[in-house]
Amino acid sequence: MSARPILSRPAARMTVVLALGTAVAVAGCRRDDQDVRGGAVGDARLPDGAAVAVTDTTGLPTAGAIPRVAIGDLAGVGNNTLDATIPNPYAGDRAAAEAGEQHFVDMNCAACHGYDLKGGMGPDLTDTYWRYGGSPADIYKSIFEGRPQGMPAWGRALPSAEIWKIVTYIESKGGAFPPALADRGRQGDLGDKDTTAGSTLKGRNNVH
Amino acid sequence: MREIEQQRTVAPGTTRLAIALGLTALSAACGTKDNAGIHAASAATTRDVGGNVALPALLNRGAAWLPPGAGDGDWKMPSRDYGGTRYSPLTEVTTANASQLQLAWTFDDGESHYGHEMTPLVANNTMYIVSPFPNRAFAIDLTKPGGSVKWKFEPNPSPIAIGKACCDAVNRGAALYDGKLIYNLLDDHTVAVDAATGKELWRTKLANVEDGTTMTMAPLVVDGKVYVGNSGGEMGVSGWLAALDVNTGKELWRAYSVGPDSLVRIGADFHPFYPWLQGKNLGETTWPAGAWKHGAGAVWGWVTYDPDLKSIYYGTSNTGPWNADQRPGLNLWTSGVFARNASDGMAKWAFVFTPHNEWDYDGVNENILVDLPFPPGTSAGGAAGRTRKVMVQFNRNGFAYTIDRTTGEVLVAKPFGHENWASGIDPKTAMPIVVPEKHTVPPGRWVRDICPADVGVKDFEPSAFSPRTGLFYVSVQNVCMDYKGREVSYIAGTPYWGAQMTRHVGPGGDYGEFIAWDAATGKKVWGRPEKFLTYSGALVTGGDVAFYGTVDGRFNAVDARTGKLLWSRKLGSGIISAPMAYRGPDGHEYIAVAAGVGGGAMVTASQPGFPARGSSYYVFTLGANIPATPESGGGGQSNAVQTQGGKP
Repeated sequence: MSARPILSRPAARMTVVLALGTAVAVAGCRRDDQDVRGGAVGDARLPDGAAVAVTDTTGLPTAGAIPRVAIGDLAGVGNNTLDATIPNPYAGDRAAAEAGEQHFVDMNCAACHGYDLKGGMGPDLTDTYWRYGGSPADIYKSIFEGRPQGMPAWGRALPSAEIWKIVTYIESKGGAFPPALADRGRQGDLGDKDTTAGSTLKGRNNVH
Repeated sequence: MREIEQQRTVAPGTTRLAIALGLTALSAACGTKDNAGIHAASAATTRDVGGNVALPALLNRGAAWLPPGAGDGDWKMPSRDYGGTRYSPLTEVTTANASQLQLAWTFDDGESHYGHEMTPLVANNTMYIVSPFPNRAFAIDLTKPGGSVKWKFEPNPSPIAIGKACCDAVNRGAALYDGKLIYNLLDDHTVAVDAATGKELWRTKLANVEDGTTMTMAPLVVDGKVYVGNSGGEMGVSGWLAALDVNTGKELWRAYSVGPDSLVRIGADFHPFYPWLQGKNLGETTWPAGAWKHGAGAVWGWVTYDPDLKSIYYGTSNTGPWNADQRPGLNLWTSGVFARNASDGMAKWAFVFTPHNEWDYDGVNENILVDLPFPPGTSAGGAAGRTRKVMVQFNRNGFAYTIDRTTGEVLVAKPFGHENWASGIDPKTAMPIVVPEKHTVPPGRWVRDICPADVGVKDFEPSAFSPRTGLFYVSVQNVCMDYKGREVSYIAGTPYWGAQMTRHVGPGGDYGEFIAWDAATGKKVWGRPEKFLTYSGALVTGGDVAFYGTVDGRFNAVDARTGKLLWSRKLGSGIISAPMAYRGPDGHEYIAVAAGVGGGAMVTASQPGFPARGSSYYVFTLGANIPATPESGGGGQSNAVQTQGGKP
């Protein structure tokens, strides 16, 4: 584990099998190409000392490499039990978007994020900058759990379906990015050329 | 411009001068060794530089108007004196030499995320700075070359507070009193720190931040009491001002801006001037049942104090929610001003600038306390031909009010910038005469081009007053809005706002202007239009130099009598702080200002050329005062002769 990587061979993707101790055993049941967010609920039931397969995505030679334990890279994402790539059940539903807009106003979301969603006390929800992830599932989680610096946790006040409708409304205004781009968005790869057909994503090279 | 030559003929003024000098000498003798060492310089930098002195009695008000122990080179509270003038008696920098100002040293507090609205303080050769959230305090040793951090205090306020602050996690400064640095934390605590060591002495919780209350204002400290108030006019709070014991932090009393008389601390001694403000429990009965509880009237601006009348003066914020349709009535005592007994907090009088406020015109701007002679023939009613004790407020609503601070009578109320929501102030009732098409009730429809916008013709940025010129120096804003009222429900901890807006620049296309104002006649004496918003406080000095900044970061010195630009430097970020002047350990005059745009200035952030945020402090002095050679210490590679430059 402590050996330095040798950089003489062509970069290649590799899988390293580890026997990790109890402390990281929670990662045990994940597929080897999956990060923590894709894990099943109830990881704590895994037996101690389970073999953990993780993917090294550094592209560096295998020999002596230290494997990457996929833990998720965004605050609030690490404990996620909701796959960031799952679609909004109300995606594209106009009635749901309208209901979401009503919630957005009634719950005073508009006072912070703006009636045009362009931000104010709270951040702009129409761009591609999402501190806690910008896929529909990520946004659902931010609404449900709340976020530091002022975002209340609405999970206790609003039923799940109504939160999804607010997400639908945000999606309808060009905020959020498609579920399939969750990883790309997290890694800063939402350039214009990456956007899917018909997407309202603005890309990242915005001039103000 | 008035020129009143009476300093050699009015005996009482002469007596007060003698008393003032006696006290100054006494405090110098009993003061720190640093002060004692610069006595000669002190005389040199406060000598009369000529020119007419308009109001000599105000020039020599005496020690009662200053925090205890404050010398002429000190700056121990944000407005320097209890009257809120932001006048420095220092005279080394003059209209003749201001062009030679050079950067002496800089400092950065590292909190560039949030706007810098404070004023640095100086006493005992130490500069004190409070950062925006997380409200770190720094003491900077001015005897060390370029300043060096003597101590740093990290109060670690709750981060929840960030999201409860409507308009940036700002702080407007601290107060130095009795060896303590006292200021408010964004999470609703007032804290006192030993000014010598940076050790916390006490911390008092004033409110629950989770309900949407924050604290951003600078405390006023007088006679052993610390006066603090809340922010949260957009969060459905009820506004209050509290008095704390300076030694223990214990809360002595709290006076609300809304509610029954018992909460507002209104009793038998309450005598508002106007009949529409007279009656029982108006803070409750001028609202729909219970609406006052979330009616705002927060106290996030400035508190001033008259040591002769023993009164404190402060304004109350906008009315909540902004959507006035949900609160029919006059909505007292929001969007107004209180005069209170400084000792027990009981109200003496109150006035409301914008009753049933439909436009977010807060009343919290500074109330500057001066005694003004009113020339015969002025419009100021019974005041004409007499000198009156007044308070002057440049209100958000666009009118500059000159009010008798003993009685609460409005003597002068004139527009000091562009406004179109009111055709004037009724001379009998002092109520605004609202232009019918600018009403925002009923809600749910766009009302176009209301001037000023919510940020007002002037916001919190404090004005200055020079007793030498008799004029006020004011940053004026030229922003208008399209406004649509929205129904809103109260959800604790979220905004209770109820308005949708877009803002645009007013007539002429210049966002800002810096003006000199005659408060006795209600006239602008001169003005300097600025392309960018002027959102900084003002400073005026005994050298007749006035200082202000713009949100694109220009720090300007102008002739206080003519408005002529004397000097300008572009700083690293926009200026929304208030400059101050102090005497350094070397006996020379220094001008300090923070550059860190944010707060309400961000309403113009889409203007091309708008700068990035910042967190730097800049200190200027005359070039001759800056050592000619690099500071010693470090490398020491040069064998060049070390000269002392202007240092004594």
